Amino acid sequence: MIANAEALLKPLKIKGLTIRNRVMGTSHAPGYGKDGKPQERYQLYHEEKAKGGIGLTMFGGSSSVAIDSPATPWNQISVADDSVVPFFQSFSERIHRHGAKLMIQLTHMGRRTRWDTDNWMPTVSASPRREPASRSIPKEIEDFDIARIVADFAAAAVRCKVGGLDGLEVSAAHGHLIDQFWSPDVNKRTDKYGGSLENRMRFGIEVLEAIRAAVGDDYVVGMRMSADEMFAAGLSHEDCLTIASEYARRGLVDFLNILGGQARDDMAHAVILPNMSFPVAPFLFLPSAVKREVDVPVFHAQRVTDLATAARAVAEGHVDMVAMTRAHIADPHLVKKLSEGRVDDIRQCVGAGYCIDRIYVGGDALCLQNAATGREATMPHVIPKAEVKRKAVVVGAGPAGLEAARVLAERGHSVVLFEKQALVGGQINIASKAGWREALSGIPRWLLGQVQKLGVDLRLGTEATEALIRAEAPDVVIVATGGTPNPGEIPGHELATSTWDVLTGKADLSGSVLLFDETGQHQGSSTAEFIARKGSLVELVTHDRYVAQEVGTTNQPIHLRELYKLGVVMTPNMELFEIYREDNRLVAALRNTMTGAEEERVVDHVVVEHGTLPVDALYFSLKEGAVNRGQMDQAALVAGTAQPAIAAAEAAGQGAYALFRIGDAVAGRNIHAALYDALRLTKDI
Amino acid sequence: MAGASAPLLGLAVLVAGLLAAALAAHRLAGWRTGRPAAVDWFGGLAALPRRYLHDVHAVVARDPFTARMHALAAGGLLAATLLALLGAIPALGGLKLWWALVFLAFTAMLAGSLMVARRRLPQTPRRLSRGRFSLLPFLLLAYAVGGLVVSGDAALGGVLPQVVALAALVLAAAGLLGLALQIASGPLRHALAGALYLVVHPRPARFASVRDTGLRPLDLAAPKLGAELPADFAWNRLAGFDACVQCGRCETACPAFAAGQPLNPKRLIQDLAAAASTGSNAAYAGSPYPGAPAVAGLGGPLKPVIGAGAMIHPDTLWSCTTCRACVEECPMMIEHVDAIIDLRRYQTLEQGAVPEKASAALSELRLADDAGGRSPAARADFAAGQPLPVLPFEGGETDILLWLGEGAYDLRYGRTLRALLALLTRAGVDFAILGEVEKDCGDLARRLGDEATFQRLAHENIATLARHRFRRIVTADPHAFHVLKQEYPAFGGSFEVLHHSQFLDALVTEGRLAPAALALPGGKPVAYHDPCYLGRYNGEVEAPRRLLDRLGLPRVEMERHGLRSMCCGGGGGAPVSDIPGKARIADIRMSQAVAAGAGTVAVGCPQCTAMLEGVTGERPEVLDIAELLLRAVEAAGDGQEQAA
Repeated sequence: MIANAEALLKPLKIKGLTIRNRVMGTSHAPGYGKDGKPQERYQLYHEEKAKGGIGLTMFGGSSSVAIDSPATPWNQISVADDSVVPFFQSFSERIHRHGAKLMIQLTHMGRRTRWDTDNWMPTVSASPRREPASRSIPKEIEDFDIARIVADFAAAAVRCKVGGLDGLEVSAAHGHLIDQFWSPDVNKRTDKYGGSLENRMRFGIEVLEAIRAAVGDDYVVGMRMSADEMFAAGLSHEDCLTIASEYARRGLVDFLNILGGQARDDMAHAVILPNMSFPVAPFLFLPSAVKREVDVPVFHAQRVTDLATAARAVAEGHVDMVAMTRAHIADPHLVKKLSEGRVDDIRQCVGAGYCIDRIYVGGDALCLQNAATGREATMPHVIPKAEVKRKAVVVGAGPAGLEAARVLAERGHSVVLFEKQALVGGQINIASKAGWREALSGIPRWLLGQVQKLGVDLRLGTEATEALIRAEAPDVVIVATGGTPNPGEIPGHELATSTWDVLTGKADLSGSVLLFDETGQHQGSSTAEFIARKGSLVELVTHDRYVAQEVGTTNQPIHLRELYKLGVVMTPNMELFEIYREDNRLVAALRNTMTGAEEERVVDHVVVEHGTLPVDALYFSLKEGAVNRGQMDQAALVAGTAQPAIAAAEAAGQGAYALFRIGDAVAGRNIHAALYDALRLTKDI
Repeated sequence: MAGASAPLLGLAVLVAGLLAAALAAHRLAGWRTGRPAAVDWFGGLAALPRRYLHDVHAVVARDPFTARMHALAAGGLLAATLLALLGAIPALGGLKLWWALVFLAFTAMLAGSLMVARRRLPQTPRRLSRGRFSLLPFLLLAYAVGGLVVSGDAALGGVLPQVVALAALVLAAAGLLGLALQIASGPLRHALAGALYLVVHPRPARFASVRDTGLRPLDLAAPKLGAELPADFAWNRLAGFDACVQCGRCETACPAFAAGQPLNPKRLIQDLAAAASTGSNAAYAGSPYPGAPAVAGLGGPLKPVIGAGAMIHPDTLWSCTTCRACVEECPMMIEHVDAIIDLRRYQTLEQGAVPEKASAALSELRLADDAGGRSPAARADFAAGQPLPVLPFEGGETDILLWLGEGAYDLRYGRTLRALLALLTRAGVDFAILGEVEKDCGDLARRLGDEATFQRLAHENIATLARHRFRRIVTADPHAFHVLKQEYPAFGGSFEVLHHSQFLDALVTEGRLAPAALALPGGKPVAYHDPCYLGRYNGEVEAPRRLLDRLGLPRVEMERHGLRSMCCGGGGGAPVSDIPGKARIADIRMSQAVAAGAGTVAVGCPQCTAMLEGVTGERPEVLDIAELLLRAVEAAGDGQEQAA
């Protein structure tokens, strides 16, 4: 049991509502909304957390109350009409069945949304100033707009109450309409809604008063807000404390959900949704300061990834509820595991930001290290036992192989896991060598702990051969041998160094370095940072429109920040087409992808990142002997039924085996793809 | 004529008898310094043969060698001595056959005496005392050999040379007189004091196979609370101290002694016996209190017992877990725990001299009704999010009143209680809790000697319970179980109380819960650890085992189990008194589970759970019976779902 666990497992009473413990998830937008409603996928995702012991799960980040705040971006929820109520009712019943509580966030996005979607309404805000993140230029709000939106908030709140939700919060954070009014940077009005802070607070007060009048005094209504925008032209810490105290003093809010920062531009997104480059709980001091000013419970989320930190935050009185939203995406059962004394089994969030980054490009939230999250209808979080016990050999203990071994062992099979290297982790071991990406090592660490606990026969430092595998007489063989750096095919490619050799220390570079990045993923930027940190002059060249183009909203700014700080020259729209030696140095020949103009660079080293090619020799040596010749039945895989090859191997008798290839051994992709390959194949074996 | 020296043997017996009587009378007179006690003399005397032959024998017979040894030595000694005395009557003394009878008795005694000597060879076991006890085999052998020769000679009509016969007589007389001298403060004191103690025993119900283990209420209006001096004990308690034969069975059973804490129940009883007469305890020659701070070792009927300048160091007193293993093992039926509580009562109530951490716990109990100072409203926190019916302030009705106990505040035990709630709900049991008005049952206060706080809590809880209608109380805490069942009746609260293992066992028997066969990880067997307050205190050792067997689990027994089980170290306030030792009792207990090959230790008590869960390193899993049953019931449910 961790220190202060009792503080986390203590119920919290807010008015008539008892939340069973102090762990919650904040309202967020996982991109699971469908037609503006929280339908089955959305509900199952939250139900898993309720099953897993969470006290309060909040859904529907930025759920809109009005049609000029469209729900379409990020596939969100619309509470603007009554059609959502039946979904709320089934949702709340589903959550309450497991003893958890359910709340929603209501908002009007104001200028922070798009006009070119849904009903094509112009956006509105306190003043017609362009919003940097959404790029929309709003209409200056008029008196009848204010009256309409205030009434929309109240009507939406009633829908929440009728829908059986346990409460709601209004969003006044991330630059939504209420805090657009608060912000001196956005609100340039001269009427009673602008000017002094008192006037700027007015709109939000009217919204909450209308909500209160509509739902009554007993219904739990809170507010999410920043306690310091950390932006010179924005709201200061003192402003935020004043707002928090005033709203609480007026009895408008039953809780305050506090965060730090704002979200007006790229860097602000990276700060307000801190990734693994930040320390744990970087802004805990902010809710702590608010808590001293108000007498309502204070909630807080921002990179609280481990229960020990969460417990400390509550035990020391900084917060009343600690939100572990991303921690639940990694492991929806973390409270259950805590209360059952199984904290070692918790799959801890590493802060990769994969979930949130996918949302910002319109995708659905998926966890880099847990392929079941968001796929509850098809992928189990708790692996059921198989009816027939089989013998399995897995080759390669990277993420794909470890996950396959873990799931097979959970199924009750006897598993041998071969790994050529002396330690598990595969390419993650290389990726985590790059500066702030170190926390990735948590992914194989958890998987290793699980396979060891489950009794997998782990053969480290053993390169699997056909003979070794056949000696195990397996029913199924899974090849997860991963990839190897793709050197590319341009003339002189043999003169280039791979990013792997740089990160593993095999190549210790100095002088001037040109790094050509063809993938736009973390690899190129991380390696450029790694080399520059060692003192080399680095030029990062990419054929993309900008550096780290494939890295998401909360991570890319961190790469750029570090590269700028280290003086790395960033050259987009340029492809590398030849490398040749000149004296002791190398010449990299570049061509502009837009103009076709060619340039040359004379450097000491050229590093290339072209992704990986599969390591597949073993697979091909096993292929002809396998009953299915290595072929995956894709229809069965997608349908979630057993691969026919398993039964075929059984029917063929002694010595017959089914063969499958997963992860980068098939084609170079990412950690999530490797884990998903493994999980969806092995859960049905 | 028969051997001329034979009648002289009768004379020697007479002299020795008179000497012994004089010495014993002096010692027995000392008991009168004790407080008066209500004693049923007639009933006690009438019951003596049965108490000795049945109850005492049942304990002694656990060690068959000792049982035979004692039967031969004591039986032989008594028979031979009585017969020899009668041999002084000429009508009998003239009969060769008579002396043949005496010879037979001495033969038996000789065999017993040889066994007495044998068990100290090649070296005296640690639990046995040396000193005068080392002399005992020689005295017994002298008397037996001498008596054997004299009576044998007489049976044959005097065939031995006069000088040999005379020498044998002298040997016998010397042995006998030596034995007589042991009657007041030597090994033979137990014979007389023990017999009397059986007559005047303070817990006569024990001999009616009742587990009479509840502490006796203390009159809080008395001029002095608890025992400060030997004279503060009731006289029959003093008799009990004198009954000790220093066999050391208690010492072997004592968990605190095993852990190297400064407690040895044998030495404690000896010190109390020594303190009853003016002088020192220097004659004691058994195992010490391990690592105890030095004390003066001086006492007297009117001198304090506890203190550095007295007989017993306070650390000894506070090391006791009140597990009653010593009482269970004692062939003389001595009540060690009662004595310890009497002494603690004085220390706590009159002196305020409780160990530091225990003092904090008692303060919280006095002020906040909970040893941890936790809010009564937080007791049901463990169940937040689970339906848990709470009785109204008054007039509540329920079939089963679920007494949560102090374990409810503990995160680990919360898990157990959640399992119990789930089981009760599944079985459709009509149950409810008292809610915020449930107070600490008072067990900790009472064991730590704070009888005033205990009685207050008992009165308040009884008043609370009296406001509701319910059929039975069920609790997962054996301490609360014991207090509610055995100790509240003295304060007017008589309830039918069940331990959760008993209730769950009944639910399974009635078919209201249908567990499937359960497989534990690793397939290793489960060992049930008896909570002292359920097993030894209340005799329930079957229901939990029956329940485990219904789960189809392979089950092993630790060497010490059932009524003779070993304590986890969590009782009697020991965790808060926290007297240091060389090892932790829980570690010792867990190593016994490991030795038994258990992969899981099944428990049924919040204290045991906490103590055993606190054992570090690789060890068997600790799971409450309710948790195991819930797993089995859920497994059955899953099976049905799959079948459907």
